[in-house]
Amino acid sequence: MKIDPIHQFNIEPLFTIGHIGNQTIAFTNSSLYMFLTVALISVLMLGSGRQLIPGRFQSMAEITYEFVASTIRSTAGAEGMRFFPLIFTLFMFICVSNLVGIIPYTFTVSSHIIVTAALALLVFFTVIVYGFYKNGLKFFKIFVPSGVPIYILPLVVFIEVFSFLLRPVSHSVRLFANMLAGHIALKVFAGFVAMLGVSLGAVGWIGGVMPLALTVALTALELLVAFLQAYVFAILTCIYLNDAIHPGH
Amino acid sequence: MARGFRLSSELIAGVVVGAVIGWGFDRLLSTSPFGLIVFFLLGFVAGVVNVVRSAGVAPDRR
Repeated sequence: MKIDPIHQFNIEPLFTIGHIGNQTIAFTNSSLYMFLTVALISVLMLGSGRQLIPGRFQSMAEITYEFVASTIRSTAGAEGMRFFPLIFTLFMFICVSNLVGIIPYTFTVSSHIIVTAALALLVFFTVIVYGFYKNGLKFFKIFVPSGVPIYILPLVVFIEVFSFLLRPVSHSVRLFANMLAGHIALKVFAGFVAMLGVSLGAVGWIGGVMPLALTVALTALELLVAFLQAYVFAILTCIYLNDAIHPGH
Repeated sequence: MARGFRLSSELIAGVVVGAVIGWGFDRLLSTSPFGLIVFFLLGFVAGVVNVVRSAGVAPDRR
């Protein structure tokens, strides 16, 4: 019996859409799960009704709205609410795709760095474009902290520019690494159950209770991480956008 | 764990990006190995700045 914890991240083309140059553009299992995620969110947000006294389903939709709205107001201020559609979309997409990914035999969209990097770069360029659109050249103030002596200012500015460029990297790697590591750990511990049972027989199946219990506990932890990472992604987006809205002091 | 991941990814991103920029700098201008050394250290510094900032230890400039 072979245990391959990486196998779950394989990208498999389902059917071909077309070609660009020599590159085949295929509809993959990743795309399928992205569509599934969007469909689930649409069902939640559109199919939840507009009653004055909300049912369970409608409450869920309203709570997600309130949650994201209050996050934005507390980190980026009331002006940040113009980015509500962007942040809500990011939060819901990451959260729902992570939650779908916990179900066994499914694919986790955000366990591929290309997906998270695309999302992080979207935020990064939104910050740059909106920052220059709103503040013009004053946007460069975010690189010049106030109250720094003039003789070390060049070095500080250099470091600030650098740490600004690091943002999309740490933003994307955080989500990707969390999902990848969590799913591998889950797979490895679940694999121990089968490995013990197959190699040791009856004793092994009884001993397998321990890794099985750990797998159950890890699944609960993954549930938390799935939500938490979506929240962290959203809140960091708010913080970065806050820089674009109010640069420097 | 989430907090640990958050802080460590800030630092790792800093060092890795610094090294990559330094390496690219050296490749383009053939100044090896000084670009790598300078940008690696700068990346480390920027990574530490980001860690301190996101840990909320230092007063935030924002």
